[in-house]
Amino acid sequence: MYITHTCLYERMSGYDLVDIEVTHESADDLFDSLSEDSNRGDHLQSIQAVRLQAGQPDSELRSLKELDENSVKLLEHQVDAAYRALFEMDGKALLADEVGLGKTIEVGMILKEMHFRQTDESVLILTPAQLAKQWQAELREKFGLDFVCNYDDEFEDFDAHDYIIASIDTAKSERHRETVLKRNWDVLVLDEAHYVKNEETDRYDLIDQLSYNYAFFLTATPIQNELTDLYNVVSLLRPGLFGTRDVFHHYFVNSNQETLVNRDELQDRLNKVMVRNRREDTDIDFTDRTIDTRTFDPTPKERELYQAVSNYVKGAYSQDQGQKLVLMLLQKEVVSSPVALKQTIEKRLYEQSELTHADELESILDLIDEIDTVTKQERLLDIVEEARDTVEMGRVIVFTQFRATQQQILDRLASEGYTVHAFHGGHSSSEKEQIVEDFEEEGGILVSTDAMSEGRNLQFCNILVNLDLPWNPMRVEQRIGRVHRIGQKRDVFIFNMALNDTVEEYVLERLYHKIDLFQQSVGELSSILSRLEESGTSFEDEIFERLVNAGSEVDLENDFDAMAVDLQEQRDLANKLEEFNSGVFEGFDLGESDD
Amino acid sequence: MTDAAVPVTQSAVEQFTERYLRSLGCSIEHSDDYWVVSVPDTTDTEIPHGKHTLVRGEGAPDGDDDSTKRLHPESAFFQRLLREAAERSPTGKLSIESESDIETPKWIQRSDVEVQNAQFVPYYDRTAAVVLFRVGIETVSEYQKEFLRAVAVDSRSEEHLPRLAESFLELTSVESSEAPSGSAELTQTEARPLLDTARELVINEIQDRLDEIHREASRAADSEVEEYRQLQEHRITELQEEHSNLSAKINDLSEQINTGDEDSRVQALRERKELKSEYEELNETLNELRERRDGGFPERQREIRERHSLDVQVTPLTLTEVEYERGEVDFELTNGSRGQTVTLGYGSGIGVTETVRCASCDQELSEQDPVQKISNGLECQRCAKER
Repeated sequence: MYITHTCLYERMSGYDLVDIEVTHESADDLFDSLSEDSNRGDHLQSIQAVRLQAGQPDSELRSLKELDENSVKLLEHQVDAAYRALFEMDGKALLADEVGLGKTIEVGMILKEMHFRQTDESVLILTPAQLAKQWQAELREKFGLDFVCNYDDEFEDFDAHDYIIASIDTAKSERHRETVLKRNWDVLVLDEAHYVKNEETDRYDLIDQLSYNYAFFLTATPIQNELTDLYNVVSLLRPGLFGTRDVFHHYFVNSNQETLVNRDELQDRLNKVMVRNRREDTDIDFTDRTIDTRTFDPTPKERELYQAVSNYVKGAYSQDQGQKLVLMLLQKEVVSSPVALKQTIEKRLYEQSELTHADELESILDLIDEIDTVTKQERLLDIVEEARDTVEMGRVIVFTQFRATQQQILDRLASEGYTVHAFHGGHSSSEKEQIVEDFEEEGGILVSTDAMSEGRNLQFCNILVNLDLPWNPMRVEQRIGRVHRIGQKRDVFIFNMALNDTVEEYVLERLYHKIDLFQQSVGELSSILSRLEESGTSFEDEIFERLVNAGSEVDLENDFDAMAVDLQEQRDLANKLEEFNSGVFEGFDLGESDD
Repeated sequence: MTDAAVPVTQSAVEQFTERYLRSLGCSIEHSDDYWVVSVPDTTDTEIPHGKHTLVRGEGAPDGDDDSTKRLHPESAFFQRLLREAAERSPTGKLSIESESDIETPKWIQRSDVEVQNAQFVPYYDRTAAVVLFRVGIETVSEYQKEFLRAVAVDSRSEEHLPRLAESFLELTSVESSEAPSGSAELTQTEARPLLDTARELVINEIQDRLDEIHREASRAADSEVEEYRQLQEHRITELQEEHSNLSAKINDLSEQINTGDEDSRVQALRERKELKSEYEELNETLNELRERRDGGFPERQREIRERHSLDVQVTPLTLTEVEYERGEVDFELTNGSRGQTVTLGYGSGIGVTETVRCASCDQELSEQDPVQKISNGLECQRCAKER
C-alpha cells in the first residue's frame, strides 16, 4: 500500500479546498494469483462477479405492484419523483412540485417502498395541525400505512409509537420536544417545509436538531420572501451543499435579492436534492366543474327552530365554554335535519341528570315535533329528479355529516321509488367496497356521511350534492375529491344546499365562495389553510366564535366578511408566492440528472 | 468513461448463479418459483454439499442453516456466491477475436458514404493488461462513493487503450457465457509496471468526478468553519458585554472607595479586588478569543478541514491479459457510382488506430466533420460544401 498525499490550499471559487489522500491498496493477491500454476476457476466468472458486486441492486420501486389500483392512481411524474428521491438523492430530498401535483402521493410511495424494504423502523411526519388527519387518512387508504396521529386518543408520546404524524407545533412544544429530539428517527417527513425557512425560529431549531437517517421535505413554494429561504431549507437537508450563507449570496443571488444568477451551477446543485414538477409538464387534465349553490327559505317552523337552537347555543356557551363541542354540534345539526338535532338533544336530556337549561331543550324538542316539512329534503328531490333524466343511471352522491339525516333521506328517496345506497363509517371495509360496486352497477343515489371522504374513488359518478356543509373546508374538498379527480371523464356538477339566513348560508356565501373553495384545484386549499394556521386560527373555532359572540345580525355579517377578507388575503398571498416561485424556477430544468 | 459496474437485476442474478453453479459441477432442477440445486461432495466450494432449494425473488431473509435460500440481488446467498466467484480467479487471459465485427470509424458512420466491404488483415498479436479498479471516495459530508473502472494498457508500449477497455467490458458482460480464455502468461515482474501505469490512468480518468466531490467537501467544510466563526463572534459579543458590565461595577466601587466611610471602603475594596481579578480573567479570555479570531481560528479550521478531507482508495481487483491483434483494415467505400478502397491501421477491440486527414484542407476527419467525397482522395464535409 502506498499513499499519495495531495495538499492543496489554493483559493478557488471563494473557498479553501480540503486535502485529498489517495491510497493505492496492495496488489499482492493479484500477483500471487499470477504465479499460481493454475487458477481454480473461470476468470470470466470472476470478472462478472466483481462487476456484479460493484453494481447497484436493481433499483426499482418494488412496492408498486403491492398497491391497490383502485385506491391510488399513480402518475408518471409522481413515480419519477419517488424514485429520484430514494435512489438518486440518497433519501434526502426536497419535493417541490407545483401545487396540486400530488406531493403527498409521492411521499406515500416513498414510505411504502421503505416499508417494503424494511428501512422504516421509526417514521415521523410533521405537518401543519389542520392537515395531520388528512395525511393519516391518505396514507392508510391509499398506501395501507398505519400512522398514529397526535390528535388520536391512543397517542401517548413520541417515544411510544413508531409511525407518527404530528403537528410540528406539538412536536416543538415544551412537553414533547425533549422526547422528539431524544429519538433517532429513521425517516422524517416535513410538510409545508417553507415554514421552517427562518433559522431563528423554534421550528427551524427543532428540525435542525432532530436526528434522522432519511428526510423528505415538501413545499410548493421553497422561497417565501427572499432567496435565502431556499438556502435555509436546503441546508437543513444537505448542510454545505450551497457552502456558506455569504457564498450563496455572493454567488447565486443578485444584489436586489430578487433574481438568481449563475443558474446553471445552482441547478446542478439543486438537482442533487430537489425535485420540482411543473403542471405544464404533466399529463394531468381535469374536466370542468360547475357549482350550483341553492339557497331556500326555511318554513316558519324551521325558522323558529333555528332561532331557538341558536339562542340556546349562545346562552349556554356564554355560561360554560367547556360545552363548546356539543354546542357546535347542535348548531350544525339544526341546518342538517330536525331528526339529527332531536337525537343529540334527547341523548343530552336523558343521559345527563344535572343538565342546566333542560327546559329550553325540552321546548326545542317540541318545536322539532311540530315540523312536518323539511325544506332541504323536499328540494333534494328536484335535483335527483333532474339527474334521473339527464345523467347515466341517474347516479348522484349526496353527502351529509349526520347519520340520522342520512337515514331520513334514504327512507324518503326510497319511498319515492329511487334506488338508494347507504354508506357510513359503521360498515366494514368489505361492505363498503360492495356498496360502491352496487352503486356503480345499479345507479341511483348514494347517500353518504363523511366516512366516504377517505380514499374511495367514485369517478363513475359526476353529480354531488352537499346537503349540509362541514365547517372545515378540507372536508369539503375531500368530498369533491371523491368524484372530481384524475380519471373523471365528464364535467362535474356540485350542488350546495343551504337555508337562507342561517350559519350555513354565511359559511357558504361569505366564506367558501369568497375563496372560491369549490373551484380550488386539489392542494391549493391546503396551502391557504396552512397559511391561516400560521396566524394561529382554526377554521371551525373561528366560525363558531363569530357566531356566538356577534351582538347583532349586522355584527355577524361584518364578522364573517372580516374573516372572508382574511382568507382572501391568505389566498392572494399563496397565489403570489406560487407565481413568484414559478418565476424564479422558470427555465430550470429540474428533471433527471445526467449521472 | 464507462462504468464497469453492472445493474444487478433479478435476471442477471439468475443467469450468473446458474452458470456459476453448473461450472462447479452442481445440477439444477427448475420449477416456477424455485430451483433445487444439488452440490456434489467433490465440489470445491464453500456452499455446503447436498441439496438446496433456491427460492426466486424477494421474501423472508435466508435462514442460518436452513437448506432453503433466497435468490435475489440482495440475498445473503447470492452475495456469498459473488464473493466466492470473485476470489476464485482474479487473473487470467481473454482474447478478442479478429473475426468479430469490424468497427467503422465515426467519420464514416456519420457520412453518406457507404462501406461495401471491410477486411481486416492481422499482422501481429499484441497483449494488453486490463485492470478492474474499485475506487472508493470517502468524506464526512457525502455518502461514500464507489466506482468500478476498467483501464487497459498495452503490455509492450504501455499505451493507454480506452477503446480496448470498453471492448473488454462488452466481452465480459453478464450475458456472455463463453469467452476464449486461459491462464495469464504475464509474470509478476512484467505485470508490476503495467499496474502502476494503470493506477495513474485510473486516477486521471476519474479526475472530473473527484474534483466535483472535492469541491463539495470543501464547500461543506467552509460552511462549518463559517458557522463556528459566527458562534465565536457571538461569544465575543457576550463577553464584551460582560466585560463592560464588570468595568462599570468596578468604577462604581472605586467611587464608593473614594467617598464612603471606613467600613464600606474596606468592603468595597475587597469586592473590587475580587471583581478586578474576574475582570482580568475575562480580559484574558476575550483577548485570546479575539486573537484567534483575527488569525482566522487556524486550529479549528485545520481540524474541520481535516475532518472533511477526501480519502480515495484505489484497489485493483482483477487483472486480465487480453490478446488482441493489430494489422490493417481495408474499407471499400462507395458514394453513388464512385468507389474507393482505404487501408488503415486497425486493432481488434480498439478499432482504427490512425487518424485520416481531408485531402483538401488537411483537417482531421471526425464525427463532426465526416468524409463527404471520395472521388479525389477523401474530402471532408466542410470542403465539399464550400465547392
